[in-house]
Amino acid sequence: MEFNLLPEDCVSHILSLTSPRDACRYCLVSTALRSAAQSNVVWENFLPSDFQEILWMSVSPVSFLSKKELYFSLCSPILVDGGRKVFSLDKFTGKKCYMLCARELSITWGSDPMYWTWKPLSESRFAEVAELRSIWWLEIHGKINSRMLSPKTTYAAYLVVKFADRAYGLDSLPSELSVEVGSHQSRAKAYLRCHDNRKESLERLYYSNRIQVLGARVEQGEERLPCERSDGWMEVELGDFFTDGCDGEVKMSLTEVKGYHLKGGLIVEGIEVRPKV
Amino acid sequence: MASSSSSLPSPSSSSSSSSSKKLVLRSSDEKHFEVDEAVALQSEMIKQMVEDGFGGDVIPLLNVSSNILSKVIDYCKKHVDFDSKKKMDDRRRWDAEYIDVGVDELYHLIMAANYRNIKGLLDLTCQKVADTIKGKKPKQIRIIFNIKNDVTPEGEQKIRKEHSWAFE
Repeated sequence: MEFNLLPEDCVSHILSLTSPRDACRYCLVSTALRSAAQSNVVWENFLPSDFQEILWMSVSPVSFLSKKELYFSLCSPILVDGGRKVFSLDKFTGKKCYMLCARELSITWGSDPMYWTWKPLSESRFAEVAELRSIWWLEIHGKINSRMLSPKTTYAAYLVVKFADRAYGLDSLPSELSVEVGSHQSRAKAYLRCHDNRKESLERLYYSNRIQVLGARVEQGEERLPCERSDGWMEVELGDFFTDGCDGEVKMSLTEVKGYHLKGGLIVEGIEVRPKV
Repeated sequence: MASSSSSLPSPSSSSSSSSSKKLVLRSSDEKHFEVDEAVALQSEMIKQMVEDGFGGDVIPLLNVSSNILSKVIDYCKKHVDFDSKKKMDDRRRWDAEYIDVGVDELYHLIMAANYRNIKGLLDLTCQKVADTIKGKKPKQIRIIFNIKNDVTPEGEQKIRKEHSWAFE
């Protein structure tokens, strides 16, 4: 095939059906292909269809000379919706990612300074994070409309947290995790703790009965642990779901209300929703 | 049902209903194809010509050979059928078989679909090329499509640096 002889709009059409990563790699094939692979037609197709609305929602203006430049600007997180959400594109697929700040979540007793405090944190993308002082009823809910996300994509929701040095009581019992949309339900549990082999093996040695008895209060299911993120925070996967392109409220939650003991030191930045790899 | 290039539709075989209006298309190698108007109108270009009152005569398609034109007519006929039945699975299966061709034929089909403005066929052929090149390295693309590498080493270095994530 004389690929170079194809009309440029055909070549652009073909490239826009590949992926952002492919389009970058094709720049090396030939100079003709490079100019097609950088065209606005191609990169506009990789942008979400509502990118204009997202730009309007942006807290600070996003400047760009080409659609390709815009694509890569949006791959770095930007604050949107009056600073209550962070938006970004997944570089490899162009799928939308959102993070809701702690203020966008519904935290039980969150407005009572006896239990939760709100404070700015330099490591956070948002103006404020929520720190759990002490409570026995730990319950955090978040919701997002699936229409805001890329269609036909498997997403996962993650609670983004840190543990204060004084953190206690958070991992006596696993927290229950849930994501629901329409009739779909994803449930699991997680011990809210930094991974610590020594502590875990000591616990297993001395308290294995207690761990079993307490653990039995929570429904059985997949058990997760918080993972470290590249930005210094930790995340717990709450569950996954598929966006079918229709309207639908995605309800995400973490609860630990069956232990009846006090716990504290959990710092909540927000909930991130991004395509599941 | 991908027909071979030798079985060109004859005036009699191309008519599914003898009462419907016919149009005659002429390929670049002077072969004539009589087709139902509904089939020819899958092409936006021909539709425009008919609307402009060109319908009575033979419609010349200067840069489409008889082999390719016959294949294009196959596509249009089948899709007129599909449009009336709305069987998506059948359509997908038929399309997948139809488009299972070599890169040269694919090239000519794209050119024909683009020139005659047949959106469905253009989407199908472009998707096929996209599926062929997805995930391939620049070197493999050059081999498949016989493209000469004219990117300078400095240019290559710049691109690799700019998009290092894409080459990991």
